[in-house]
Amino acid sequence: MSQGFEPLLSALNALAGGLFLLSAFGMVATRQVLGCLRFFIAQSLLLAASAFLLGAAPLSAHLIAVGLLTIITKSWLLPWLLRRMVRQEVYTRREITQAVNIPSSLLIALGLVLGAYFLSAPWLPAGAAAGAGFVRINLPIGLAGLLLGAYTLAVRREALPQLLGLLAMENGAFFAGIAVAPGLSLIAELAVAFDVLVLAFVLGVLTRMIHERTGSTEVGRLAALKEEPFR
Amino acid sequence: MILIAILALPLLAAAVCGLSGSERWSPRVTLLAALANLLLAGEVALRAAGGETIVALPHWIAADGLSALIALLITAVGTSAALFSWGYMAHSTQKPRALRLYYVNFNLFLFAMLAVPLLAEPNLVWIAVELTTLFSVLLVSFADTHDALEAAWKYAVLTLSGAAIALFGFLLLFWAWQTAGGGPYSWATLRAAAGAMPPRLLQAAFLLILVGFGAKVGLVPLHTWLPDAHSQAPTPVCALLSGVETSAVLYVILRLLPLLGPASQGRAWALAFGLLSAGVASFLLLRVRDYKRLFAFSTVEQMGIVLAAAGLGSGAASYAALLQIVAHALGKSFCFYAAGSAALLSGTTEIAGVRGLLRSSPLGGIALLLGGLTIAGAPPLALFLSEFSILKAGLSGGQYLAVALLTLFIAVAFFGILRHILPMVFGKPLPQSVNRKLPRSVVLTLLLAALPLFVLGVYLPEQLSALLRVAAAALTHLAR
Amino acid sequence: MTTRILYNLLQVAVVMTFAPLMAGVLAKLKEMVQSRRGPSVFQPYRDLWKLFHKDEVIPEESSWIFRVTPYIVFVTPIFVTLLIPVLTSYPLFFAFMGDMLGVGFVLALGGFFAALAAVDTANPYGPMGASRTRMVSFLAEPVFMIVFFTVSFVAGSTIPYIVQQSWVTPLANFFEPAHVLLLLAFFMLITAETGRIPVDNPSGHFELAMIDESKGLEYSGQGAALMKWGGWMKFFVLVCIYLNVLVTPWGLAGGQAAGEVFLAIPLVLLKILAFVLVLVVIESSLAKLRLFRISEFLGAAFVTAVAAMIAQLFAL
Repeated sequence: MSQGFEPLLSALNALAGGLFLLSAFGMVATRQVLGCLRFFIAQSLLLAASAFLLGAAPLSAHLIAVGLLTIITKSWLLPWLLRRMVRQEVYTRREITQAVNIPSSLLIALGLVLGAYFLSAPWLPAGAAAGAGFVRINLPIGLAGLLLGAYTLAVRREALPQLLGLLAMENGAFFAGIAVAPGLSLIAELAVAFDVLVLAFVLGVLTRMIHERTGSTEVGRLAALKEEPFR
Repeated sequence: MILIAILALPLLAAAVCGLSGSERWSPRVTLLAALANLLLAGEVALRAAGGETIVALPHWIAADGLSALIALLITAVGTSAALFSWGYMAHSTQKPRALRLYYVNFNLFLFAMLAVPLLAEPNLVWIAVELTTLFSVLLVSFADTHDALEAAWKYAVLTLSGAAIALFGFLLLFWAWQTAGGGPYSWATLRAAAGAMPPRLLQAAFLLILVGFGAKVGLVPLHTWLPDAHSQAPTPVCALLSGVETSAVLYVILRLLPLLGPASQGRAWALAFGLLSAGVASFLLLRVRDYKRLFAFSTVEQMGIVLAAAGLGSGAASYAALLQIVAHALGKSFCFYAAGSAALLSGTTEIAGVRGLLRSSPLGGIALLLGGLTIAGAPPLALFLSEFSILKAGLSGGQYLAVALLTLFIAVAFFGILRHILPMVFGKPLPQSVNRKLPRSVVLTLLLAALPLFVLGVYLPEQLSALLRVAAAALTHLAR
Repeated sequence: MTTRILYNLLQVAVVMTFAPLMAGVLAKLKEMVQSRRGPSVFQPYRDLWKLFHKDEVIPEESSWIFRVTPYIVFVTPIFVTLLIPVLTSYPLFFAFMGDMLGVGFVLALGGFFAALAAVDTANPYGPMGASRTRMVSFLAEPVFMIVFFTVSFVAGSTIPYIVQQSWVTPLANFFEPAHVLLLLAFFMLITAETGRIPVDNPSGHFELAMIDESKGLEYSGQGAALMKWGGWMKFFVLVCIYLNVLVTPWGLAGGQAAGEVFLAIPLVLLKILAFVLVLVVIESSLAKLRLFRISEFLGAAFVTAVAAMIAQLFAL
């Protein structure tokens, strides 16, 4: 690969990162469950795009395989599985109320992103070591993705957006991972891909059980188990 | 080879349970596989106690003293839980299909838990921990009631998000290890390279994993799911969740402690988190209404004590922490068997719904009393010995504040547990209490599981002591 | 010197001439997407002609503000045209008078007077529309500021002629996340500021649901013509800033020769046509947001802009 492409790849990777972050914001802010799923698919595709770009810079078959694996499991098999598992009506549901209203939610999410940048600053490599530029982009954005996923989980009350928030957290971890740990064994990658599908399957079954039992998938309303208050 | 057999047996049992046409075989196959695994794990533990590291696939599947100890506990509690399930589960559901799925999940859950200590590659260990959650979620929701589904959802969402945080930590750990040189990646090579890794990354990775897996261990402030899940699941599953799943995940955190040099604050963090959990849980114990929740909170407290003990740092403290893990696994699983028997006898898990159990069913009453006394740490039972050794190790290390706090929390928990248990055992039986006979396998489990509690309280077998010493050595930092 | 003044005036002439055409093309295309025939693309010119030949009615209760406002609304976009690159990629004679912040303030002045005039009439719909436009502007203001802060971080300047070059030298800069996110944020800003779908429906005729249109309800004759023309020019100018400064500097005249400058006119119009096509697709596939959802829409624009700023500040 000639030197001339390096800055372009780096800029494209940064763009994938920026859009990755934006899709995480989208998952925080969209009311429709289906919209949330679409943002998640977009996010997974951007994760794969970043893996391809990183794999192209010093040509690495391994990262390209990771990208392909991500596309197959997260943006194709997983939505297909979820659509089969959980009834169609769930997807057209809108969340009328979230724990925090959407504009303030977005501001909090922004604060989390800033926090992620400051938190990860001391971990970043100094100087121009190989791949340091990619790490500097991917690590803070990955951490921000993790935090935004956790935040989605915290403010959403519907089952599927919570599940997608969970998966977005993993996406965030992997967005950092493809830059900091490109040498991860392929067995681990395959196992993780399998694990994501099992996760979607198990939680899909659980969502269906909850839907059948309580007539709704609003898991935020499940709050019967607690201790006796102090008298 | 023997390690691969240990991993393969539960998978095989799951396949048989899932594919066989008749449900009558499921409990038998499960029990048989668990028993065989207990023997195999015993063999591994004996060899590991001699200082040997058993390797099946270099850098992938291996067991040193610490791994062997945890695997032994998992198979031990797995066997007793399988035995208990036989009689107990037949009472709790009439649907053969549900029962079959229960046994399939049970075996898969055992497999995932055994994979945690036996896998040597840390990234795969992360996946094994994730699988323990995924295979147990549907066990927690087994009852298919409103409460059980709520518990299962909270359990899944909190522990899986914790696992995602831990994943970030594992990736940072891998990064740190690569900057230190790379090569084949396993706990052993990681520990050897600990000095060469950038301390900042190492500390960040440790904290992320501590927080992430702390959610799964039930450390405060991410403990909220634990009493729900550990009380709503069917009793044998509670015994596994509370007795060994928490310890198996704690094992991963313990593995990381020796990586952090004396300069880092890793041990201090462990101590602080441990004390916080023990403290909060011991006070929360006081106001429970449900006796399965009582034991679940006690698990949070015990895990806090173990982590705090490991955070004390000395060799003696590590030894005591591991002894506490052993005693807790055996004691807590027994507590849940006793609680399950009480629930079978009385038909409720409300503390206020059970009175004078000793009179209506002497065996159930004695079991519940013994469970309460064990887990509260009364002498001469197993947990007394381990808690005492922890305090002693702390005192000889000069960490007086930590010891004082631990003593306070243990005392509060002692009071809290017995305050709830004693009226249930003694007192006057309620008029409407149902009197059923306990199934034979349940009685047998209670008798067998009670045995080690007495033995370990007064006498520590030489082989176990050697195993604990080898395992404790794995918790110390290697100086370069 | 004189050529620069002449080109500057040519810019004004281009904006004045083609702003109604752009509105006509947009309306026509939208109708065609909805499989209707629609009015001719020259309809806005005819409307202007018609309105200029009608008598004007002025409410008795209104003050001088009502009479002055059409002129202000008409003049402010023309003034802005003097400052920004419409045809040339080098500063023209009057460009020294203000930077991008100045552009924002001048445009805001027009909006301010339009709101005042709407309150000035005793028509109940006017103040309602005015207060709504104020709400949208309030929310749009921080986005506008953040966008221009980020731009000035990148270019080290707020002069549009310097900004436009910094995104494409080297070409990889075009794909900088900060740049793409800014484009997105500014696009959302334009839809809010000019009252397009999903913030407002420019072709709606239901007074209660109007945001932007209701401000001009009381005008007739010449006043109405000036208000409409001014609104079209504002839209045209904003699109010019978006396309020529933020998206691409391509197609602009680089030299002083008259041929080059005149060639720039069709090229710029072509770019605007492409923009209009995108806008038509968006407007036909989205519905107008409910009033209280507008804060969410602009909140999203704000987050996008701040994300651009973060990406810019930390990625270096």
